[in-house]
Amino acid sequence: MQELQTVEKVILKENTKMFQFKENCRRFIRSNPIGTISIGFILLVILISVLAPIIAPYDPVLQNRQSILIGPNGTHILGTDELGRDVFSRIVYGSRISLLVGFSAVVFSMIFGIFFGVVSGYFGGVIDMIVQRIMDAIMSIPSLILALFIAALLGPAIQNVIIALVIVETPRFARIVRGEMLRIRETNYVEASRSIGSSVFRIIWKHAIPNMGAPIIVLASLAFGQSIIAEASLSFLGIGTPPPNPSWGLMLSDASRFMETAPWLVLFPGLALALCVLAFNLLGDALRDFLDPKISSKK
Amino acid sequence: MIGYIFKRLLYGILVVLIMVTFVFVLMRSVPGDVVTLQLAEAGSVSEEQVDEMKSQLGLDKSIGIQLVVWLTNAVQGDLGNSLWSAQPVVNLIVERLPVTLELTFFSVILAIIIGIPIGVLSAVKHNSFIDHILRVTAVGGLSIPNFWLGLIILLVLSLVFNWIPPLGFKSFSENPIVNFQQMVFPALVLAVTLSASIIRMTRSALLEVLHTDFIRTIRSKGAKERVVIYKHALRNSLVSVITLIGIQIGTLLGGTVVLETIFSLPGLGSLIFESVTIRDYPIVQASVLTFGTMFLLVNLVVDVMYGWIDPRIRNN
Repeated sequence: MQELQTVEKVILKENTKMFQFKENCRRFIRSNPIGTISIGFILLVILISVLAPIIAPYDPVLQNRQSILIGPNGTHILGTDELGRDVFSRIVYGSRISLLVGFSAVVFSMIFGIFFGVVSGYFGGVIDMIVQRIMDAIMSIPSLILALFIAALLGPAIQNVIIALVIVETPRFARIVRGEMLRIRETNYVEASRSIGSSVFRIIWKHAIPNMGAPIIVLASLAFGQSIIAEASLSFLGIGTPPPNPSWGLMLSDASRFMETAPWLVLFPGLALALCVLAFNLLGDALRDFLDPKISSKK
Repeated sequence: MIGYIFKRLLYGILVVLIMVTFVFVLMRSVPGDVVTLQLAEAGSVSEEQVDEMKSQLGLDKSIGIQLVVWLTNAVQGDLGNSLWSAQPVVNLIVERLPVTLELTFFSVILAIIIGIPIGVLSAVKHNSFIDHILRVTAVGGLSIPNFWLGLIILLVLSLVFNWIPPLGFKSFSENPIVNFQQMVFPALVLAVTLSASIIRMTRSALLEVLHTDFIRTIRSKGAKERVVIYKHALRNSLVSVITLIGIQIGTLLGGTVVLETIFSLPGLGSLIFESVTIRDYPIVQASVLTFGTMFLLVNLVVDVMYGWIDPRIRNN
């Protein structure tokens, strides 16, 4: 009987959480048509990247000397590049690299950013000062230049691009988390929790982190777009994703040499890149409007 | 005020020192040091040669000593020599810096000219059709990768107008017309992102100010809308717009690397790119630090400007 009650309670709790989530989604869709379209577009890109082998009509790295620099037509809907590779297939596979880099960069910099921000904000004092000065110093170097520097030191590889972007993005998360931590540290519920003897970890884990979700999510969405652009820029300069990987930035770098004879090579990968970044930026804006009405951009 | 500037300057120097240490540690913590990398390209070499070169470059000492040596030299204006051309790095940077400064200056001016009026329009007509269009355009401007926009502009210039910017860089003092033709397009591309941010910031800051009591007072005494907006509201929102420009200069400076490369401008950005590809680390290190220092200086100027714009800050 006791067991049954516990099970019931768990189900009830899950139901309300599920219900809340659904209700929030409904509210978001109703109040943010642009945000909803952005989410739809991002889901579509994820789907395309997962189903790349099915969607892409050709092997993205397969060279074909017979069909070099052919404009968009029936067999190659977005044309072929200087090695006869199908541009559409390369763009489809390229979405994998952009999403992988964007996702890993955001997740890792979020984890490190939360760690440094929480430590800095909760403990304060000397630790705070040291961490903040280091973060200030990192943020004083223009991010693309720092990423370029680190990626160049480590050599061209996708994981090195990710490492470079994590180092660049971490201070941004840390700064926001620190600010939130300072605010939360002084709240009554943390005071209460501390007075009943909760450990530092419990306070941070149960009270602080769940309450700083909104600004972190907004930043994550914007950082995702920025990371995608940064990966493309580094690859464009030849310091990011190594060939023959179909990175969009790398495609544009190759394309720039044949621009006048084959303009479609410049057009389509850039368009894919811009649309992806646009979707993440619009989503970031929509999330900000939705999660924090006080700083809403609509007013 | 002078005490404040002094304090900020000291803080700036502290951050530059940490930055130097950070860059130094990063460079030395990567597998394969400069010498091995450089000699590897030259072919087979003996252990002694490696050791000799290391001691020549001072790389056999501990990282702390290397850092102190580098800093002592740097303060005296010696940033080391290029690994390839053996030219002093300082000369290279001094030679390249003006191009980047001119490009950055041009883009910031362009971005302000484009951004502020559009931001004001967007705020004044807020939630209208025009506002929606402008807001989406601004997000679009933030989302377009600048190197792609640069390529597209070059493409359109050459295919449609049958014209490309003149080759062979000329500085402003050498030939202002050619210099303008070479600078205007990269500056415009760089300005796109910045003006998009300025539009968004001007709009939201202005909207915030327009809802305050003092604006209502000014309106109620019968001031013209133009006076309300330009003389009172805009002036009060400028602090946030200028802060934003200070922060965004970082993105702009990063963009110079790509755009100077695309438009073949011999600036600091293309210097970094060239040195990175040939692994000329002394140049890379010095240029990274130059960019960082520029960024810090801009933000120092921004801090000082607060006082100039907003008397309340000046008096505190």
